[in-house]
Amino acid sequence: MVTLDVRPQLLDALSALRDRVASARFPLPLTGAPRARANRDELLAQLDDYLVPRLRQPEAPLLVVIGGSTGAGKSTLVNSLVGRQVSEAGVLRPTTRTPVLVCNPEDHHWFAGLRVLPELTRVWMPDHADQSARPERRSGRGERRPGAERGERVLRIETAATLPRGLALLDAPDIDSLVARNRELAAELMCAADIWVMVTTAARYADAVPWHLLRTAKEYDATLVSVLDRVPHQVLADVSRQYGALLTKAGLGEVPRFTIPELPESAGGGGLLPATAVAPLREWLTHRVQDPAAGAHAMSRTAAGLLTSLDSRMPELAGAVSAQYAAALRLTAAVDEAYEREHARVRGRLQAGGVLAGTALSRWRSYPLDCSAGELLDAIVESLAALLLCSVSAAGQRIDERWSREPAAAARELAERDADREGAEHRIGLEARRWSRVLEEYVEDEVRGQENPPDAEVVTALLVTALLGGRRARTAGEALAERIGAHGALKLRDRGGRLLTECVEKVLRAERHRRLAPLAALDIQPEPQAELIAALSVLKKER
Amino acid sequence: MTAVTAVTDHTSGQEPTEPTGTGASASCERSVADSGRDNSATRDGSSTTGDGTSTGPGPGTGPGPGTGTSTRSWARSATRAPTSDDSAAPAGGKRPRRSRAGRRASARDGAAEQGAAEKNAPETPNGSVDDRTTEPSTTKSRATKSRATKTGTTKSDATKTRTTETGATKKASDRRHARAENVGSDAAEGRSWDDGLIARRVGDPPDNTGHARVEPFDQHRHDAHRDGAPHSSAYDPELRARLDALRELVGLSRARLDGQTLAEAGRVLDQAAARRGLSDRHTVVAIAGATGSGKSTLFNALAGVAISDTGVRRPTTAAPIACSWTDGAAGLLDRLAIPGRLRRRPLQHSSQGPVLDGLVLVDLPDHDSAAVEHRQHVDRILTVVDAVIWVVDPEKYADAVLHERYLRPMAGHAEVSLVVLNQTDRLPGDAAHQVLDDLRRLLDEDGIALGEHGEPGATVLSLSALTGDGVGELREVLGQFVAERGAAARRISADLDAAAARLRPVYAAGRRVGLSERAREEFSDRLADAVGAAAAGQAAERAWRRNAGKACGTPWLRLWRWYEDQRFPLLRAKPSPTPPADEQATARQRVEQAARTVGDEAAAGLPAPWAQSVKDAAARGAQGLPEELDELALTAAYPARRPPRPGWWPLAVLAQASMTLLQIVGGVWLLGQVIGFFPPNLGSPVLLMIAGIVGGPGVEWACRMAARGPARRYGIEAERKLREAAAACGRAQVLDPVAAELLRYREVREQYVRVTGAVAAGPTVAMGSLGAAGSLRSAGSGGSAGGREADPHDRVTELSTTGR
Repeated sequence: MVTLDVRPQLLDALSALRDRVASARFPLPLTGAPRARANRDELLAQLDDYLVPRLRQPEAPLLVVIGGSTGAGKSTLVNSLVGRQVSEAGVLRPTTRTPVLVCNPEDHHWFAGLRVLPELTRVWMPDHADQSARPERRSGRGERRPGAERGERVLRIETAATLPRGLALLDAPDIDSLVARNRELAAELMCAADIWVMVTTAARYADAVPWHLLRTAKEYDATLVSVLDRVPHQVLADVSRQYGALLTKAGLGEVPRFTIPELPESAGGGGLLPATAVAPLREWLTHRVQDPAAGAHAMSRTAAGLLTSLDSRMPELAGAVSAQYAAALRLTAAVDEAYEREHARVRGRLQAGGVLAGTALSRWRSYPLDCSAGELLDAIVESLAALLLCSVSAAGQRIDERWSREPAAAARELAERDADREGAEHRIGLEARRWSRVLEEYVEDEVRGQENPPDAEVVTALLVTALLGGRRARTAGEALAERIGAHGALKLRDRGGRLLTECVEKVLRAERHRRLAPLAALDIQPEPQAELIAALSVLKKER
Repeated sequence: MTAVTAVTDHTSGQEPTEPTGTGASASCERSVADSGRDNSATRDGSSTTGDGTSTGPGPGTGPGPGTGTSTRSWARSATRAPTSDDSAAPAGGKRPRRSRAGRRASARDGAAEQGAAEKNAPETPNGSVDDRTTEPSTTKSRATKSRATKTGTTKSDATKTRTTETGATKKASDRRHARAENVGSDAAEGRSWDDGLIARRVGDPPDNTGHARVEPFDQHRHDAHRDGAPHSSAYDPELRARLDALRELVGLSRARLDGQTLAEAGRVLDQAAARRGLSDRHTVVAIAGATGSGKSTLFNALAGVAISDTGVRRPTTAAPIACSWTDGAAGLLDRLAIPGRLRRRPLQHSSQGPVLDGLVLVDLPDHDSAAVEHRQHVDRILTVVDAVIWVVDPEKYADAVLHERYLRPMAGHAEVSLVVLNQTDRLPGDAAHQVLDDLRRLLDEDGIALGEHGEPGATVLSLSALTGDGVGELREVLGQFVAERGAAARRISADLDAAAARLRPVYAAGRRVGLSERAREEFSDRLADAVGAAAAGQAAERAWRRNAGKACGTPWLRLWRWYEDQRFPLLRAKPSPTPPADEQATARQRVEQAARTVGDEAAAGLPAPWAQSVKDAAARGAQGLPEELDELALTAAYPARRPPRPGWWPLAVLAQASMTLLQIVGGVWLLGQVIGFFPPNLGSPVLLMIAGIVGGPGVEWACRMAARGPARRYGIEAERKLREAAAACGRAQVLDPVAAELLRYREVREQYVRVTGAVAAGPTVAMGSLGAAGSLRSAGSGGSAGGREADPHDRVTELSTTGR
């Protein structure tokens, strides 16, 4: 028998782990991300709705969740177990859309509060029979609501004195109808169960979906009960035997199995099945409550199974987190690489005098006879801005290309990039002009002391030409030296060159940061992975 | 078991050479291989693979003898050489036509043999039919005779029907489109519920090809107005035209799209060709449904004899079983890869209800049990049958698997679908009606058009196969359905719609496509910038004026400048040396940027593959461009180093000289008076000098004013020359390739529009007709479920703005 030694340390470790799990995020649309997200939600639901409350309060009633396919007769079964109609049954599928929890009136307080399933709004329908007997009903959060409003998830709470104390039945929605909300809700409710009751039918017992659920229950080692419902009595023995064989084959042979024949009552109208039909199941459940050992066994088996399942699920989550980080790194690397390349290309073009081309070259050729120093300066600065803009957009294109091969780049945050070519043009132009202005100030400083000072603009134009023109602007360097002296010219060219390098680096860095900003905003870090694993190992030590 | 024997007999009687496998079958095999090769020459590997899977069973899908038979008989039906040689004159007469088709196929490059056969079909719409079926030779002559009598009437009927049909067809195609578009989105959604975890992690997620492959359908009585005349030609001209368009589309796109994208289209083409090559007197109807819904019971009820095992054991049926009401369906069943031992006959003398001649019923395994191979059977067979009866029961009719995995993706196939609510005997009282209504609602939410009030769509029935209640009605519907013989064509048509809808993202553009005039001009401007045209023009203008000033300026001014230069040699700028020939005069960065910008603009709104090719074209064009522009700058920019001298310059120079002369004369005269050489007369010399002094600058000013216009013109001319040369260069290198890419895309898109059937296929697609079809379509789709109407309408708007 599995026993759980519930110590405060364990609870602490568990809630630390819960926080880690809750903070794990999977913003990049990798192939495993949707699954990881769902896994995370499920794990969280199991921790919040079941494991933590159960370990805190082992004395709380056993929660039995009745789950299964649509039309399997879950509601009819619950009604029959309770002995009156608490959950609506019918022929239209899916019938139950609002989960119904039935418990003994004495246990009502356990479920009226937010101990389990806190995200479901409590609703109850007044029960005419025991209305007067249940004064505490008004406590808790259950104000009456006329039906479930759209979009709001509710849990209807019913009380029935016919149920033994310490037992609560939850009629879950189906797991396989085409109402997606039902399927999600059913999964969540399953997470909160001490005992899973899987209802299937003669027509369904080979369906893939319920079998999947059975396998999941086995994986988590939850306390499981299987009910084969709606079996035509002619074939009862046959079908029951086959189902048993299938269960054994799947390694679920020891699961308690109950067979309920198809009776006219189960077909429609929501009639109750005769008590004899459900008596074995009822007895089994009652036994769990009345025999403390059996109850503790059922409870601790599910809890321990869940704790054990953490061993495999946490690393899976951590793996998904690290996959996110790896993808983010790949994206960043693509950006860095593209900008590195472009930076190198820009340096090459600058050395080769690529800036002094086109308009700038025309100006330089006609300078000084047919062109003023100011015009020359403007043309060259503009040409420099064009070079930078070209390399930035080339880098952008290259990044787009690389990212298009990365599934992670399809994230909405990354995809909706503002196409701000004008913006980049403006920013880069501004940066280039600022560079030339600073250069002009340097020149003014330099020539101020000289007697017969040459025109600062002319000197600046010559300096810029010499800096950016490469070999082809050799004469500019000579002219510059003639005007302000070889020493001064050398000094200016040094400072100007340094300033140019800075300017280019600044522009490229700024653009790269802009490009990476959406990715950085996602804040994908490597730490959560390690934290998840660490939380798990702490928990393991405490167990 | 008599049924089995009958089928076997019939097969062997038809193919006497079978046991030995000599000459005839060998040649058949070869011709199959040939057609396969033809295909692979024009299609890429993936579609050839599709071909392979659809035409014959793979190894291991059936027992040995079954496989052999199917391959051989397929081959026979594809070529028909051996049997038609022996048969009567009409069949023999068809051979020349066949080979003519073959010649034509080889003459037209790029057309697959199947395509040729398809194209050829219109010539023999009535005649070729019987020939295609693998009729037992004993019945052949009878069939030929009856065909001969039928031919005349059918022809006139067909033409009549065609004209009256036009309106209805259009409407039907509207509906098809609205639905086909849902297919894609629903298929995408369909996967989301399968994301794992307790209830949600159900079985294998439908993989890409999985939901793509699901498309059954079925049809029925809405075209009862075809007055029941057997419709002998399987595919009507519209469908043929659309198939041809799709084939061409695939050919045009192969270079741009990957095989995976086109695989589905290739599969539809293959299916269409394969189905066309087989009997069109038969309608293959599959019975599909969840485990325990009573498929087999219904199958047996329809056949009138217990063919398929029924039972309480789940899942019951493990392999598809076929039941053919008439002979000659062997080829069809081979295509379904149903082995001979699973082919049965119905109770021959079943007197109940209408005749179901031509029906081939297939009982499928379940699609939702834990047995995965059952699902695979279902998925495979659903792609090749003509129609489907979906059997649901009161317990399972709302299952997600059924709706999300099957019904939604095949919403476009509503016309070839029947939905049957079985096991009504399990429901008390009027609950059956409630459930049926709820089922109708769910189907409507799935986007399946319901065949109510005489509109085309899926028929929904309720019955109990166990008690036989309602089976008669189903027989009636089926009988009518089979008698119409349109299911195969409608299935293919629905497949085509689905394929077109799936291809939409790679063909339809979000906006008007093309390179705007503004973008072209901007591109030219950028190139002009790159070669420095504006600056060069300005420099030329200034040089011209400078020369004019020099020529016509006062000599004193020139003297002063010279003196200045002498005094401050530093300030005197040396003219830049002539540029060396290898100089990179063109701004590379600007050219690159210009090409990138124009490429991006041209590609904006295009589907990704085409956008990429447009951008690539622009980038490729930009590669050699700077070098060409360099050369051009050398030749175009400085054609004449010295500006031309206008004719009035000598005059101006003369005037300036005479002014100088006046100054000198006046000065000398004054000087003469001072030294007493001339009589004192201050007035004249002073006047002369003043005239000279004022006149000199005056002339210079006048000259400058006069030079302004010509200088401007000269500069503009220089700029224009350079700019135009650069623009021409850019046009040839970048704009033309980009425009060619865009044209290619537009061509493909027109083809795509033809595939969707939005426009009657014709040699040219006039934009007006597109618009007209669009308005018709949006009007026609008004009846379909709300929210969908907007979509087709938008699409048409977009399509009608395509061309320029």
